[in-house]
Amino acid sequence: MTWPPRQRASATPRRRPLDGRGVLTLLLGGAFAWSLATVPWGPDLVHPGGERAIAQLLAAALRPELSPPFLALALEASWRTAAYAVAGMTVAVAIGLPLGVVASGALARGALSRLGAVAATRGLLALLRAIHELVWAWLFVAALGLSPLAAILALGLPYAGVLGRIYAGLLGDVPEAPLRALRASGASEWQVLLYGRLPQALPDLLSYTFYRFECAIRSAAILSFVGLGGLGYQMQLALDDLRYGELWTLLACLVALVVAVDLWSGEVRRRLVA
Amino acid sequence: MMFVLDAVSKAYGSTVALHPLSLAVARGETLAVVGPSGAGKTTLLHLLGGVTQPSAGAVWIAGRPLASLPPGRELARLVGVMHQQLDLVPHLAAVHNVLAGRLGEWRLLRSLVSLVAPREIERALAALERVGIRDKLYERTARLSGGEQQRVALARLLVQDPAAIVADEPVASLDPARAEDLLQLLTGIARDDGKTLVASLHSIQLARRYFARIVGLRRGRLAFDLPAAAVSQAHVDRLYDLDERADDLATAAAR
Repeated sequence: MTWPPRQRASATPRRRPLDGRGVLTLLLGGAFAWSLATVPWGPDLVHPGGERAIAQLLAAALRPELSPPFLALALEASWRTAAYAVAGMTVAVAIGLPLGVVASGALARGALSRLGAVAATRGLLALLRAIHELVWAWLFVAALGLSPLAAILALGLPYAGVLGRIYAGLLGDVPEAPLRALRASGASEWQVLLYGRLPQALPDLLSYTFYRFECAIRSAAILSFVGLGGLGYQMQLALDDLRYGELWTLLACLVALVVAVDLWSGEVRRRLVA
Repeated sequence: MMFVLDAVSKAYGSTVALHPLSLAVARGETLAVVGPSGAGKTTLLHLLGGVTQPSAGAVWIAGRPLASLPPGRELARLVGVMHQQLDLVPHLAAVHNVLAGRLGEWRLLRSLVSLVAPREIERALAALERVGIRDKLYERTARLSGGEQQRVALARLLVQDPAAIVADEPVASLDPARAEDLLQLLTGIARDDGKTLVASLHSIQLARRYFARIVGLRRGRLAFDLPAAAVSQAHVDRLYDLDERADDLATAAAR
């Protein structure tokens, strides 16, 4: 062996002018340029009344609808949307956590059983989240009618798919050394999960769950377009009747909900780290 | 015999960490393993602790072949290992890290309940009392100092209550005064509870003061194996011989 070791790493690697990434960049750039050429530039690009509608919409932002009966309606719609989001997230965590644990391979000891468990649960999780919550909503509304249960399941299933996928990654990524020490004191894989994996992953698990909770509020608002009631449904009514003032009030409610979840999440994380 | 190594060697790929070596450690004996960095101390300790299996030769722990002792409750009753990095779960309160030493004896439900309402808390208290940090029971482990975390790891071993303790560089990260405290504690526990203790150390002085027997390792080979009183300055000089130390540096750098 030579000393000092040859310093191969410090030599500047020469970059080939056109590697795979360069080709892809060119292709994507070309596609964008081509798409510009297909736009029918001209006075018809924005439809005739569009500018006036936008001006009305923006003007309405200054005078949102604040009459007591409408505020009561907006509050009720917010409550309904938040309730859908909470119930949907509860379903999502209840399904996503156990699936995520199995999909992380944390409980399987043998290589073969791990492979089987991981492949099966990952497949199931992928199926759940491959279908958008709106599509789930159509399916459940068709099957169950316009019931809250349809909205909750439509939200809960795809979110379980996303949560489970992320939980599996977080639980599989924790530092291994403390886990080995637990096994050395005779702990089973279940006990290693409780005393090693979950505690180490908990801050990240909570952060991500809260982030998905924010997403769930937005999704719940959108789901209500399907006719399930809530903020989205009220927005649709307001838009149909061109009552832009009401639209802004409803939007403010939606923002308030998301900000509230964010503050809550920050508070929980602060306490956890303290 | 607590440990018997019969012509045991260990290689990682093409790197030989330990050349064939035989060693017997009696029950209740206190043994220090000394030697320069990269001499194979950690490898030897991992073999004794059942953390790794040998490449060749046989390891016997309390009369049982290591191959028949996978990590689990049986091995945990025989040997407890304290790693250099302690390997505690920083997010848990000290009490849970200490009681983790009981997991081998606990059923799943009991371990789950204990995370909310700690079970057998008197065991955890007694162990923390013995290592001198009784008041840190509910402190988050991450908030404890390095020395305190070391004591939590030791308390976990006390609760696990194995027949032998294997400690890899237990004082490497401590200042001299604290190092003496910890060794006093460790050897005191071994003496009072009749436990076998094997620890790797950098300081020959500490090894001579606190251990009955010293094994010197040099580049994966046994350099000497003597009662502590019989280890002379000549032994130490040969162990850390400057000439060959240059070789050690070169091999370490090449790795």
